[in-house]
Amino acid sequence: MAKKPIIQFNHVMKQFDDDAPVLDHVSFEIEKGKFYTLLGPSGCGKTTILRLIAGFTEATSGDILFEGKKINHVPANKRPINTVFQDYALFPHLNVYENVAFGLRIKKVKKADMDAKVKEALSFVNLKGYENREIAGMSGGQKQRVAIARAIVNEPAIILLDEPLSALDLKLRYQMQYELRELQRRLGITFIFVTHDQEEALAMSDEIFVLNKGKIQQSGTPNDIYDEPINRFVADFIGESNIIRATMIKDFLVEFAGKQFECVDQGMDPNEAVEIVIRPEDMEITSVEQGSILVTVQAQLFRGVHYEITCMDDAQNTWLVQSTKKVNIGEKIGLRFTPEDIHVMRLNESEEDFDRRLDAYGEDENNAK
Amino acid sequence: MEKKSSSLANLFLLFIFFILYAPIFYLIFYSFNSGGTMSHFEGFTFDWYRELLHDTRLLIIVLNTVVIALLSALIATITGVLGAIGIRSYKRRQTRNTLLSLNNILIVSPDVIMGASFLILFTMAGVRLGFYSVLLSHVAFSIPIVVLMVLPKLMEMSSSLEDAARDLGASHWNVLTKVTLPYIAPGIFAGFFMALTYSLDDFAVTFFVTGNGFSTLSVEIYSLARRGVSLNINALSTLMFVITVIFVVVYYYLASRSGTKGANLRR
Ligand SMILES: Nc1ncnc2c1ncn2[C@@H]1O[C@H](COP(=O)(O)OP(=O)(O)OP(=O)(O)O)[C@@H](O)[C@H]1O
Ligand SMILES: [Mg+2]
Repeated sequence: MAKKPIIQFNHVMKQFDDDAPVLDHVSFEIEKGKFYTLLGPSGCGKTTILRLIAGFTEATSGDILFEGKKINHVPANKRPINTVFQDYALFPHLNVYENVAFGLRIKKVKKADMDAKVKEALSFVNLKGYENREIAGMSGGQKQRVAIARAIVNEPAIILLDEPLSALDLKLRYQMQYELRELQRRLGITFIFVTHDQEEALAMSDEIFVLNKGKIQQSGTPNDIYDEPINRFVADFIGESNIIRATMIKDFLVEFAGKQFECVDQGMDPNEAVEIVIRPEDMEITSVEQGSILVTVQAQLFRGVHYEITCMDDAQNTWLVQSTKKVNIGEKIGLRFTPEDIHVMRLNESEEDFDRRLDAYGEDENNAK
Repeated sequence: MEKKSSSLANLFLLFIFFILYAPIFYLIFYSFNSGGTMSHFEGFTFDWYRELLHDTRLLIIVLNTVVIALLSALIATITGVLGAIGIRSYKRRQTRNTLLSLNNILIVSPDVIMGASFLILFTMAGVRLGFYSVLLSHVAFSIPIVVLMVLPKLMEMSSSLEDAARDLGASHWNVLTKVTLPYIAPGIFAGFFMALTYSLDDFAVTFFVTGNGFSTLSVEIYSLARRGVSLNINALSTLMFVITVIFVVVYYYLASRSGTKGANLRR
């Protein structure tokens, strides 16, 4: 915590013309050497944040700091930050070597040094021996690696990646996810990665910022965000989830689907209207007698690893369950979950309030253990 | 049925081309006539070409024409490229389209009107008619052509290329010389060659703005032809035709090399 953040946004606002602001008082800190992901639906302002960090555009208001110094008006070519563009933006009139060497040539690096550096960068991305290839003759995955090599060869403090994997097929994408993560660990450079694919974000990041409509909804480690989504949007966007209206009777007791359940959340008002989240994989199918709630099976899809089963309870709530067991449509089954599987969300709670509530009760939770 | 009509169409096409090219080949043919008239062919000779080579006045005019063409094409290309970059830099679509329309109007407006208006302008501004007036007017009518050839290439270039160059530390000047210009180079060459050919064979505009003692080939041929027939003109026209054909071939070679994809589609 004492470490100075490498990038800091202080109430950054960005507005084009007279439209509604694209970024609305966004504040966050980025620590050195970590893998960050900006996650959000299309048009939520992810690219805009990257462009602000890279220096291609200026904030309407608010401050952007690099290692504590304000860089709002520092031009892009003076920032120790390099970008891997969504469309790669490789120079079509230059070959692979010249593309990678572009930044070094601008800095007038000596020929021998340049050769060594380009070679090293290309071997980092497994493209040894591709120096003299033309860009037009490379596959999507290879182009992407050239784009990464072109960024890392300059040894920047931060690398920004704008959905670099979205154009690749599934298999190559998985492979590149591993390679990127591995590369980041080896280089120790701060990565800020943009995606709208939640699985990708969960798999790769040290820390995730979930964005929606120009606001940061929640930030935290993949586990935090998956297990304790702050609101309906985050719960829905990150993975499959059952979101059910509920009432918080008192601390550790919540009522939904016509029954009261023990839970681990606290700090709400008595009888406050809330929403609860239960992940489909956290529920277990049991007999009617053993189930926490009773449901009727409505539909079943085979997803390869598991069955995805849609059920409905007596209060007309729909439940999504993942199970390796097959059930029959129309059958009555029980769903079992533990108090830890229930996550309670307050309506319209801001991230600060959420953190404050967790901090306030974290103490006695620890004492209890 | 279909075959028949298409062969008919081919025949028609051939006929049209024959009519279009017949006068030129007729003229070329008699440029080798030793008889001195264009009515009947007596024998093969290079005399007219030899005479042409000894006519210093004519050679100077040829030189003038070439110098004007090269210089005006060069100046027009530089100005046109800058203009195209300028047009692209306007973010608003409407401004851009207005500028482009203003540019295109200059291309479609009749040469005679252009020539007359240049004449009026030069007279009012007190510019002496001669080399500079011709050069200026050629530059002026070539710029819109260059803009028209360069702008599509510029528009096709993704703005992220320039962002990427900036990102890698390039100054604005470096972005221009290392990324933008190389990318649009085919368009620049095409524009240059178009400007060159337009300048070489322009008659109408030049006719208005040449003064005494300065002339270009097309104007000179016109005045020679009015004075009476000499096969000199045929020889000269033949040379010009050959040079034009060479330019066209070079132009198509460059164009097809840069836009292989487009050419394939058309095929
Ligand atoms: N130059 C611009 N002028 C006007 N509006 C813009 C401009 N650039 C972006 N926007 C708007 O800003 C909003 C956010 O854009 P941004 O590109 O940051 O989205 P994104 O999160 O990267 O989306 P995607 O996942 O589709 O790439 C969009 O509504 C977009 O229309
Ligand atoms: Mg984007």
